[in-house]
Amino acid sequence: MFNHYFKSDIPRRKFLELGLKGSIALAATPMLLKELLSYSGEMYTKTKLNIDPQILNKTIKKALEKGGDFAEVYVENKISRSILMEESKIKSAVFNISQGAGVRVISGNKTGYAYTEEISEENLIKAAETASYIARGSKKIEPINVRETKRKSFIKIEIPLQYIADEKRIEVMKRANDAALAYDQRIKMAFISYYDEIRGRIIANSEGLLLSDELPLIYFIVQTLGVGNNTRHMGRERVSYHSGFEMFKKVTPEEIARSAARESIAMLKAKDAPAGIMDVVIQNGWGGVLVHEAVGHPLEADNIAKKIGAFTGKLGEKVASDIFTMVDDGTLPNFRGTTNFDDEGTQMKRNVLIKDGVLVKYMSDILSAKQLRMERTGNGRRESFRYYPIPRMTNTFIERGKDKPEDIIASTKKGLYVQSLSGGSVNPITGIFNFTCREAYLIENGRKTIPVKGATLIGSCQQIISNIDAIGDDLAFGPGTCGKGQSAEVTAGQPTVRIRGINVGGSRAKF
Amino acid sequence: MDYKGLIESLVKKCIKKGADGAEVYLQIGRNLRISIRNGEIESIQEAGSHGIGFRVLVKKRMAFSCCNDLSEKALENTIERAIEFAKNTTPDNNNVFPSEKGISKVEGLYDSSIKNIPMEKKIELAKKVEEAAMKDPRITKSAGARYGEGEAEIYLANSNGLLKNYKATGFSFGVSVVAEKGDEKSSGSEFCSRRFFTDLESPEKIGKEAAKKAYEMLDARMVKTQKAAVIFTPDVARAILGGILGAVNGERVLQGASFLANKLGKKIGSALLTVIDDGIRPKGLASAPFDGEGVPTQKRFIIEKGILKGFMYNTIVAKRADVKSTGNASRRGYTSTPGIGPHNFYMEAGEFSPDEIIKATKRGLLVNIITGYGINPVNGNFSGGASGFWIENGKLVFPVKGLTIAGTAHEMFDNIDMIGNDLDLNRSFTTPTFRIKIIQIGGK
Repeated sequence: MFNHYFKSDIPRRKFLELGLKGSIALAATPMLLKELLSYSGEMYTKTKLNIDPQILNKTIKKALEKGGDFAEVYVENKISRSILMEESKIKSAVFNISQGAGVRVISGNKTGYAYTEEISEENLIKAAETASYIARGSKKIEPINVRETKRKSFIKIEIPLQYIADEKRIEVMKRANDAALAYDQRIKMAFISYYDEIRGRIIANSEGLLLSDELPLIYFIVQTLGVGNNTRHMGRERVSYHSGFEMFKKVTPEEIARSAARESIAMLKAKDAPAGIMDVVIQNGWGGVLVHEAVGHPLEADNIAKKIGAFTGKLGEKVASDIFTMVDDGTLPNFRGTTNFDDEGTQMKRNVLIKDGVLVKYMSDILSAKQLRMERTGNGRRESFRYYPIPRMTNTFIERGKDKPEDIIASTKKGLYVQSLSGGSVNPITGIFNFTCREAYLIENGRKTIPVKGATLIGSCQQIISNIDAIGDDLAFGPGTCGKGQSAEVTAGQPTVRIRGINVGGSRAKF
Repeated sequence: MDYKGLIESLVKKCIKKGADGAEVYLQIGRNLRISIRNGEIESIQEAGSHGIGFRVLVKKRMAFSCCNDLSEKALENTIERAIEFAKNTTPDNNNVFPSEKGISKVEGLYDSSIKNIPMEKKIELAKKVEEAAMKDPRITKSAGARYGEGEAEIYLANSNGLLKNYKATGFSFGVSVVAEKGDEKSSGSEFCSRRFFTDLESPEKIGKEAAKKAYEMLDARMVKTQKAAVIFTPDVARAILGGILGAVNGERVLQGASFLANKLGKKIGSALLTVIDDGIRPKGLASAPFDGEGVPTQKRFIIEKGILKGFMYNTIVAKRADVKSTGNASRRGYTSTPGIGPHNFYMEAGEFSPDEIIKATKRGLLVNIITGYGINPVNGNFSGGASGFWIENGKLVFPVKGLTIAGTAHEMFDNIDMIGNDLDLNRSFTTPTFRIKIIQIGGK
């Protein structure tokens, strides 16, 4: 709770190596259930959120008593498990039960927020009073009584997490561990991190909205330590979906582990990376984190409403090369960044942000949509009931192009091939970003050649999207956690792309 | 409420429900956040919170559970969850709880005035810091000012008879602004954090500093790719200290996942390099009388005059390494099991003023922003984005941005040749200004 002790630059967003979060129809077929080791009947007395709509109405009324033009109650509860395996041992197992409710009041550009961990009428009313402080003396509105609403679902579940025995969770971890160690003798250790949660939400507001749902989430991360002569490399692979346990059938623990191990071994041969400006080809998949940072964050409407964002006033203008189209789509089935509705209750949508190089849309929450007089795009998200929602990305990607990935490499005479990126950050005001490569190779005469050590890529967002001159037809995605004062589950994606002239931070002067 | 009595009885309850050993960690807190923009309140957020974590040991297997519902039924359910979960972890003889009963004396962790500071005064502080930063004509926009305060009480008990508690406060405020010139934008922020409200710097000083950071970087250029001296300012301490911290984690050392694993007692850098971890510094932002599992904290050398002196341990990892816990069990609140982490972690001051270091530099880079992950703790490789000022003949000549710097930890530590006298221990993770004689810079 004392994280504000560290001196930090507010606008910097960092990708954290953490996972968090989590409605839906439970549709386990008897056949699937039989495959489970045992049936562990979760005590769901508390997960099924249930609250009298009259209490919600009273809380909203109280919140708007002193004035204000919008009030909301957000109730959440979450059950999570996080298990860590290192050195072939189950080192840590954490079971977390959390619940709480937040009350928000918006009055003009001001936000008041308070939360309580005890979900009772008394505490909700108290939170409403605290949150209403900022609206003193402003114009009053009469809230509309809440009515239950339904939203379309983008998340299908076959094997609900509620029915999974802990032994099953451990089994997938062991399978990953075994596959990693079997990959190559030089893999000395695997770090397997398993996280799952079930998050229940109720959202009610002064516009009369009342929504509830319950979503599962799984985040599985394998890191492998490769040790060579005087060198080490930690490889990584992550898989995450809002899904039931069937996720491990679609992508097996062994595949995940082997992917991490492959990176560890390949990078043991890495040489020093060159320094200076060069052409960079980024492989399809998680590399989309580059546009997440460099373009996505500057397109979040909060900084645009404050008129400080790098893309302020650029709506309808040409900002990128003609072949560049970028989308934020919260409806991709079961994706890590997908929910049925955002944390303010807005239906998730597919939002085209930049179309053929022209800026067409920002990503908004309720407040910034009002400030900019734009639509609500379904990007109002929050880490938990302890935070009020702000504009965040969901699943963000560069739309597929026409080029063949192999032609992109072949037509690059000299440059850097980035197979995967660790993550990065951007200053959304200046648009200056940085990324760290996990796995990269030199491109020499149109061919991918030797691996090079983790180099940093830096530049400005405007420059990157103007300098993209080739986009492949091989769109793919990867999961991650995005930090912007609070964390959010996201997916980033892209086809293979080439960007001309990025500054690469290597440790040797000559290419 | 008698929290001591509560956690003591909960330890007993864990044992009664089948645990061989147990630890209960209770955290109670309150925090307030105010944000101001253009002289108006943008948001006020206030909440009290509490939560409790249970670590149980069943047949040498350890598991953890936590909840934020302190009702008797919820607590019992949570304990049962931990005991149930422990069936699945791996048994380990090193799984023990500490038995060190004492606590270290640390002055100045709690400011009792926190209850009496009027809301208006806090709002005023955030307004004033924004005003001070906006005073400079080169500053065109405010990205917002903030005030934050928090207080927390920690209670810890375990089945070895430990029963300890302490409370602490923290205050911080700062501002972030934008300078513009034509199409060019530059942002700057400055913050100040203290244990005591009255120790906070003046809003004028903090605001002025934020403004300076924004406008002085306008008209930044790029330089050619080259090797040159690089001067690190305290603002980029994390780039060098982060990698050291990751590499002296006792567990990573045992696992061979640290570039410092085989270097204990050996020279790993310049004789000027001394790094200290201090858990007992009065009013220290990362000080505490005991660590995340109740072991008394201490002040110790990590690197002394270039020699690697020690790693960091919690109780379990210390037992495995056959050493004593260094009091570095760290917890991110009641929801986390104790890992290994620092207290006030810093590089010792040297003899030169920052100006003298600049004057002594014929050609090089003064870096005040480094982006990226810093030194990789596993293999010691370093690469980051850099901006700051270019130095020619001992003078700052123009601002630079979009550069990279890269090398290895080994090369960086060896080449430290001047250290500044400007160490500010009000920061909990910091260095003075220091110079690395030569390192690769990437640019045009």
